[in-house]
Amino acid sequence: MSSTQTAPSPEQKYKSKSDVVIETRNLTKTYKDFWGRSKVHALKALDLDVKKGEIFGLLGPNGSGKSTTIKLLLGLLFPTGGEALVFGSDASDVSKNERIGYLPEESYLYKFLNAEETLDFYGRLFNMSATKRRKRIKELIKMIDLDWAKKRQLKEYSKGMTRRIGLAQALINDPELILLDEPTTGLDPIGTREMKDLILRLRDQGKTVLMCSHLLADVQDVCDRIAILYQGELKELGRVDNLLSVQDVTQIQAKGLSDEAKEEIQEVIQRHSGEMISMENPTSTLEELFLNIVRESEERPGHRHIEEE
Amino acid sequence: MVVDPSEFIRFGDWFWEAIVPFLLTIVTLLVGGLVFWFVQLAVRRHPRVAVDIIGRTLHNSIFRDLPSTSLRRILAMARLAIHEALRSRVLVIFAIFVVLLLFGGWFLDVENDHPARLYLTFVLSSTSYLIIALAMFLSAFSLPNDIKNRTIYTITTKPVRSHEIFMGRVIGFAAVGTILLLMMGTISYMFVWRGLDHTHTIDVADLNYDSDRKEWTGRTSFDRHHFHDVIISNETKRGIAMTSKGHQHEITVVGEGTDVQFEVGPPVGDLLARVPVYGELSFLDRYGNQAESGLNVGKSWGYRTYIEGNTLNTAIWKFGDQATSQITSATFPDEKIPLEMDLRVFRTNRGDIESKIRGEVILMSTDPIAKVQESLPINFEATEFATLRMDIPFSDVKYLDPISAKPISVDVFNDLIVNGELKVGIRCKEHAQFFGMARADLYLRGPDQSFIINFAKSYVGIWMQMLLVTLFGVLFSTFLNGIISLKATLAIIVLGTFAGFITAIQTDDVSTGGGPIEALVRGVTQQGAETELNVSDGARDVIEALDGAYLWTMNVVSQIAPRYPEFNTADKVAYGYDISMDLLLRHLTVTLGYFMVISIIGTLILRSREVAA
Ligand SMILES: Nc1ncnc2c1ncn2[C@@H]1O[C@H](COP(=O)(O)OP(=O)(O)O)[C@@H](O)[C@H]1O
Ligand SMILES: [Mg+2]
Repeated sequence: MSSTQTAPSPEQKYKSKSDVVIETRNLTKTYKDFWGRSKVHALKALDLDVKKGEIFGLLGPNGSGKSTTIKLLLGLLFPTGGEALVFGSDASDVSKNERIGYLPEESYLYKFLNAEETLDFYGRLFNMSATKRRKRIKELIKMIDLDWAKKRQLKEYSKGMTRRIGLAQALINDPELILLDEPTTGLDPIGTREMKDLILRLRDQGKTVLMCSHLLADVQDVCDRIAILYQGELKELGRVDNLLSVQDVTQIQAKGLSDEAKEEIQEVIQRHSGEMISMENPTSTLEELFLNIVRESEERPGHRHIEEE
Repeated sequence: MVVDPSEFIRFGDWFWEAIVPFLLTIVTLLVGGLVFWFVQLAVRRHPRVAVDIIGRTLHNSIFRDLPSTSLRRILAMARLAIHEALRSRVLVIFAIFVVLLLFGGWFLDVENDHPARLYLTFVLSSTSYLIIALAMFLSAFSLPNDIKNRTIYTITTKPVRSHEIFMGRVIGFAAVGTILLLMMGTISYMFVWRGLDHTHTIDVADLNYDSDRKEWTGRTSFDRHHFHDVIISNETKRGIAMTSKGHQHEITVVGEGTDVQFEVGPPVGDLLARVPVYGELSFLDRYGNQAESGLNVGKSWGYRTYIEGNTLNTAIWKFGDQATSQITSATFPDEKIPLEMDLRVFRTNRGDIESKIRGEVILMSTDPIAKVQESLPINFEATEFATLRMDIPFSDVKYLDPISAKPISVDVFNDLIVNGELKVGIRCKEHAQFFGMARADLYLRGPDQSFIINFAKSYVGIWMQMLLVTLFGVLFSTFLNGIISLKATLAIIVLGTFAGFITAIQTDDVSTGGGPIEALVRGVTQQGAETELNVSDGARDVIEALDGAYLWTMNVVSQIAPRYPEFNTADKVAYGYDISMDLLLRHLTVTLGYFMVISIIGTLILRSREVAA
């Protein structure tokens, strides 16, 4: 693994192909206070490509810059440096929103509207005709299973219900690209599973999904590729399976071995001048990877650039 | 009633005069705004980035966002605003208003000489205060609440454009205000009408009958704190209850002999919309020479100037304008000159306070070769504090024949009115007494307009004030938080209301007491306003510079702020004057101008704002 600080090379900059949906180049965000003084370096020179049809996960602990990245992509924030391109045009271009769905961290909806009114309102913002809206609202409410509560004001909704109606509003325009900020927070295990299934279904329909989470389990199950952010820096990027198979560590998992057999294996390892790490049931490997990164970056802070295969 | 001099200007003339300063202001604002924006971005990022961002924003706004404007989206935003407004219980405002009307009766002065004026002023001013307060609160908090609750995240990530958000808000709040205004207007009209509607009874036993003239005279019953003197003709079977409390009643006679009864009609003349045709006012001094103005009595500056009695001091109104409003026979359909005047009387000789001051009207030609240069004086008695209606029949217009030295009738349209112009002169006939007048105090009265329409026009004025407040409220709410945007909106209202006053301070070079900083220093150090400020020279320079900057800022802001009082036409309705189309058009044009400029500025601010920061 190389850990070089890289500015985008010209080849990189112009390699944007039609199958690249999201592209960030050197994307940097520093929150400033009222007087323009730097307060928080929330995102540092992020380079990312998200390709059409994949589920891309942004993983990182709280405050690592995931939401900031998504907001920059949506034009809710303006970059301090670098650029964010969505469908090849700048994030500040409003017309891209026609093809985007966004589920914010918390569902910031109008509490005095009911589910139908909410979806109808957002449908209007997409300039959808009344018949199209009616049809779409019916589909979505069925999908999120809120038919029984569709006439209730959102202020009466539970966290999980709010999350579901939030998702429905993100899908009202049948978007090509869906940005999900912590889609599973506030959901119970069944709700989480359903959300994950839905994300996979969306991918199967050919949509591109960018989601972020601080929960390893979320991204592990559904994401094709992930990027790990820590303190605003990209620490790891790649296919989930590749990231998990740490090249210089061999994990052996077996069942029904006798004690002699175990000793024998240990001998074999020693003979090849290896070192036995563990023979326990492995923990979530992604978690390990993650903790490694955190440990490592505390020792050697800075940007790590990861070459993809 | 005080009429602003600008009201004498016709819409067309006003428009072409106003358009240049308007465009200059816009250009200044836009350039100033762009410079400010550039500097801000250049300091935070880089001048090149600043140019890039500004260029892109402007380009996208004009060539991408504007063409993709969708009415459905604007209306969706408007509906949301309405929904929000109703949820925040704007109807409370309506309830307050109804309560005001219900109990208003207790506070209104029942002895007032002009109940119609009182009622109309009351409903119109309470309506406008409530509506303006409502507009201010609704608009100033809307976007800040969206930003605070982050509901703006789910809005701006949809294809809705900044100008659609801005206009949607404005339209939504304006719609709420409009509906409220309609409701309040209807209720107000009923309140005024019911409050004024009454009748009297007349008992034949209380009347004197003059059998020569076949006339009854006397007075009506005492109802609603007044009675009327009546004259009833037994020949025409009609009569009149003469003006009291600003109105009259028509009386019809029913029955004969001992069964005679009098039916008194509803009040007339208190709810009307007179159409004044104004002239240009000039003066002759006490020796009959051209003069700049009349005399000042007491005040160094006043709305009215005065002419001295028993001299040649004359106020002359010139009517008819060759280009636009010539006097023709259609102007005087009944062969009468319909003069109406509202002269002030200033007495230096106390005398009998009850006696009326006599004056005279002289009709004059504007053409030096017209056959009749001046008519013989026509006498009148000035009615203080009441409008004097003086229909002069053509047959009463005489002139002194130079040959026979006898009064001869004038053929008004051949001998006196040339090129559609006529002058009307007023003199006071009594020694040491004065008549006071302003341009609007004497006019030719055209055919009346409908009162209801005039009443409605006054609501259009309130509506425009509401819209202007809403525009500024939403504008401030695009970049300020709720409370501050409310304060800024309030500041604009206050500055707009006192704009004329502020400009006067500015031009009046603040002489005594200085500006606010100096006043503060004087207050703290307990120095009176008349003495020279006792501080070091350096401190004085600083104080003066600060005061200068403060006044300059106030002046600039008050130039930009809409002049709300100009939109207030309650007085016209209350005093029974038609709100002219010229005035209404001008106000609508100003409102439209503000609408366009503020929408553009608000849109650009909204577009260049980081809503998630
Ligand atoms: N509006 C803001 N103003 C100042 N700092 C902010 C703001 N939003 C986020 N931050 C800071 O930026 C960093 C990244 O935040 P965020 O992107 O929300 O993280 P994540 O979504 O990964 O939890 C955090 O340190 C956070 O405190
Ligand atoms: Mg977050």
